[in-house]
Amino acid sequence: MIEYLSVLAAMALINVVLAVSFNLVLGYGGLVSIAHPIFFALGAYASGLLARDLGMPVPLAILAGGAIAMISSFALSVPALRVSGDYMVITSLGFQLALVHIITNVEFTGAAGGLTGIPSAFEGPIRGQLGLFAIAVFAIACVAIVRWLMHGPYGRAVTAMRNDEQALESLGRSPMAIKVMLFAMACGMAGVVGGFYAHHFLYLTPEQFGTFASTALLTMVVVGGAATTWGPVLGAILITLLPEAIRFLDMPISVMAPAQGVMFSVLVLIFMYLRPQGLLGGARAGGGVSSWYGSRAERRVNGGVKP
Amino acid sequence: MVRLSRRAPCKWGRKALNRPTLEISGLCKRFGGIVVADHLNLVIGGGEIVGLIGPNGAGKTSVFNLITGFVSADAGAISINEQRIDRLPAHARARAGVARTWQNARIFTSLSVFDNLLIGARDYPGATLFNNIFRRGALLQARATQGDRAEQILKRIHLTDKAEVFASELSFGQQKLLAIGRALMNNGPCLLLDEPMAGVAGHIHETIGEVIRAEAAAGTAVCLVEHNVGFVRELCHRGVFMFAGKVMADGPVDQLLEDPRLTELYFGTKPVKDLPLVGVLT
Repeated sequence: MIEYLSVLAAMALINVVLAVSFNLVLGYGGLVSIAHPIFFALGAYASGLLARDLGMPVPLAILAGGAIAMISSFALSVPALRVSGDYMVITSLGFQLALVHIITNVEFTGAAGGLTGIPSAFEGPIRGQLGLFAIAVFAIACVAIVRWLMHGPYGRAVTAMRNDEQALESLGRSPMAIKVMLFAMACGMAGVVGGFYAHHFLYLTPEQFGTFASTALLTMVVVGGAATTWGPVLGAILITLLPEAIRFLDMPISVMAPAQGVMFSVLVLIFMYLRPQGLLGGARAGGGVSSWYGSRAERRVNGGVKP
Repeated sequence: MVRLSRRAPCKWGRKALNRPTLEISGLCKRFGGIVVADHLNLVIGGGEIVGLIGPNGAGKTSVFNLITGFVSADAGAISINEQRIDRLPAHARARAGVARTWQNARIFTSLSVFDNLLIGARDYPGATLFNNIFRRGALLQARATQGDRAEQILKRIHLTDKAEVFASELSFGQQKLLAIGRALMNNGPCLLLDEPMAGVAGHIHETIGEVIRAEAAAGTAVCLVEHNVGFVRELCHRGVFMFAGKVMADGPVDQLLEDPRLTELYFGTKPVKDLPLVGVLT
């Protein structure tokens, strides 16, 4: 039972980092990207492979994984953000599917069978607890960094960018630079936590980074409250625990897997209708899906300046 | 020579300008078959208030978009204080000192009124991660000076008591005021106002007029697009009549308004081909 709870806690904390970093892009930046889990995968695979095949020390490998995820984010963000809006969704979806396919089909990642034999970060009888502690520290650091940045001058610029890109540009700021940096930061965090995941669970399979993971992440941020500090944290914990709760209903596995997907979709729909600001987004939090969705629709009505 | 304003006496006409702030020459832009700027020339001096008038679709707002870089020109030169800006991206032009407002207020609704102003500063350093992490000192310093400036502007636009309110809670008129205030934070030599008076009334109307006059008196080149002819007459030193991407006439507002040919163009009672289109009044 302790074992089970500690796995659950590690998953919840990893999801907290993913949701908090995804919130930078989706909540604060108002940029709908599907591809966030793939940067988690890049960090996890890069870190696992560097440590296993090149013998890199684990902490270094984790950092390198984060750096690789961060740099790879430019490959998506620079071309995709030029066309933001709906095209961004499609581009990021393509990016994600393509990378998942590559990971599934190349030899050195272990292909569909998954990557095994990843060295652990800690040795000894309490390695699980130590790993959990490390993940917790990193999760707290991520929440603190995001909160600090988004409540300062940078957050002001990011919020302005989400409200009205052109207006911000007319004030002398480059929205493109802000978007690319937001992506880099968020993907770097996802990459680092990917490394933590790899060296904690010691096994990676490609399918865990697919669109299902994207849906789960989206649900965490929307249900918790986009563009808030604690919303994604709560969302991540809830969405990690909820499927575990229905596990006790003793449904056959063929029913349970699709049931989870349906549950996430229904949750997102319900929240979009009834509480678009999420659980923790106040009506006047100045953020949340409602605010960026509203301003986007408004912009479309007002018409951009381009014909 | 005609003097149009008692408050800010200013010479009009190209020859009379001693220091052109905004200079546009030979500006061309077409979208497919639609011409929005056809070899457009325009010079605005510091301290001058120029009104762009003309019927819908004449290319008035497009001129603003071309100057600010949101639409790139096919040909022509744009300079601010004799510095070419026409190759710069939009945000760099704003940093060169071209501030603008939009037809709709387009304020940042998720920010407070005060934050809306802070972010308007031309050299707001907080928009880069580097500055946020490594140059906290400079950030705080800029916050202090720009905060002072924002407070002064709040006083001028009479929104001091709303400083901490979300911008979305302001009335439409107040939002327009805030948008103008945000543009003033740029503190640059050139201010472009797209229909500043549309949809506002009463004392806000007066406040906007005062703010514009004060800016011009401080030496800013102000150009505005406006359909409210009374307002243009009362405020602008000079009017520029545009039609189909061309400057049809350039002179004192009263003179433009009395010209029957321009009235024809504005209201379109005669087919365009019957009108003498080139070289009116200039």
